[in-house]
Amino acid sequence: MNIGIGGAGSKLASIASSGESVAVNVSELELSKVEAKTKILAVTHSARGQLRGSGKNSNIGRDAYISIHEELKNLIKGNIIFTSTGGGTGNGITSCLLEGLSKNEEPVILEEKSLFAFVLPYLNRESSEYVDNTIEFLGGPVSSAIDSGNTGNMVLFSNKLKFEGRIAEVNYNQMMVDSFNSFLSIPVKGEMYKLLDGHIDFEDFDLYKSKPYFNHFTQFEWDPGQPFEQQLSSNFNSLLLAPERAIEVMFLVELPSPELTPKFYDIIDYFAQDGLAPVYGVVHNPDLQKPLVTVSLLYSRKPMELVDDFKNISDIYTRNRIKKSFEQHVVLQNHKLDKLNEARRMVEEKGTSAGDVLGFLKRIGKL
Amino acid sequence: MQELFEKQINSLKEAHFHILYWTAMAEEMDQKYNITNIFDDLKFIGATRTKQSAVALVDSLSVLCFININGESNRKNIYITKYGAKVLEFLMVERDYKIKKSMFLEGIE
Repeated sequence: MNIGIGGAGSKLASIASSGESVAVNVSELELSKVEAKTKILAVTHSARGQLRGSGKNSNIGRDAYISIHEELKNLIKGNIIFTSTGGGTGNGITSCLLEGLSKNEEPVILEEKSLFAFVLPYLNRESSEYVDNTIEFLGGPVSSAIDSGNTGNMVLFSNKLKFEGRIAEVNYNQMMVDSFNSFLSIPVKGEMYKLLDGHIDFEDFDLYKSKPYFNHFTQFEWDPGQPFEQQLSSNFNSLLLAPERAIEVMFLVELPSPELTPKFYDIIDYFAQDGLAPVYGVVHNPDLQKPLVTVSLLYSRKPMELVDDFKNISDIYTRNRIKKSFEQHVVLQNHKLDKLNEARRMVEEKGTSAGDVLGFLKRIGKL
Repeated sequence: MQELFEKQINSLKEAHFHILYWTAMAEEMDQKYNITNIFDDLKFIGATRTKQSAVALVDSLSVLCFININGESNRKNIYITKYGAKVLEFLMVERDYKIKKSMFLEGIE
């Protein structure tokens, strides 16, 4: 089951489940905009929150979490949670959820671990509040949840491509969901198609996605005649943050003809260079024209390093904005208009010549 | 006498010149021009800040017979004399005074 927290998260979860998702929000109005099987209204005492959502204030989300925490804690078990890290509701409620998981005295069992999909703002285009909320989120709740080992994979979607590619939100959401589904369909394909080598069943897959690491997945047409390393690095998923050095790998190769099967050893060899033993499957998919490979890399990048990245870019951005505002700062001269002097100047400008004076002196008969 | 006339003229200040000019101008425009108007105009061009100074300037011109002060109803209207006209002619030609318009007579466009 997919659970969407906040506006952005609810939309993604709804698309991913074709409207069969759970939507959580502090605003009834926001909830009414989303198609979902179950809608949970988190109660906030802020009138602004009730009417318009949390905006960029994560404290509203945190306050509202109290009203739903029992329900939500049970609901997330073994499910996928979508949320954005920049907004108020998603950030606030998910922060509380992650903090709760970090404080669990008993370790969370494998079947109950949740997979989190976060949508991160694009630093160069989105407001500084979104970026600051994200920095706080990654450095605090995400960091401690990973350390506790009580979460499953974390997927870090980025809005970068959305802004650079000028993609409409609804289309971008669909792209993220499609990409995510390519990863989630690995065990389904393992069952659906004829197995040629290796095997990834649902248990393997559940074990893999229950590991508390960041997950970068990608899918591309594979040319068995070319080095795999090159193909992988040029086909990283542009919807996700770029991965670091992998510590665990899973891949599924779909081949149009079984004769190509031995070629998959090239992929195994490539990962073996880094001492990695991938979980893999090779299946025969007769619908394809060319081989297709779906790769997932688990990498353990400390969230603090991620935070540093965000901070550095945020700092540069802030510095540029400050610099720009200095450049635009115009010192206005204190212009005092002295009406009297101005009037005198105008009078002087309209001066009369000596000839005129002598003329009228004569006219009045004085000369 | 010519010597005396020259001495009298040489002792005149710029403010005297303006008063003579505005007085003549008023007559040309067929306007009544009185001490209060003179004071306002002198104040406007920054020549004086007090009415006493304005009165002293007008008195000196009157004593020298360059202007006449006629009491008409409750106003003391000023008129330039023929001597005054000669003085104004002299000052216009010999001194580098710049004519300043009278607020009362001409206003400012």
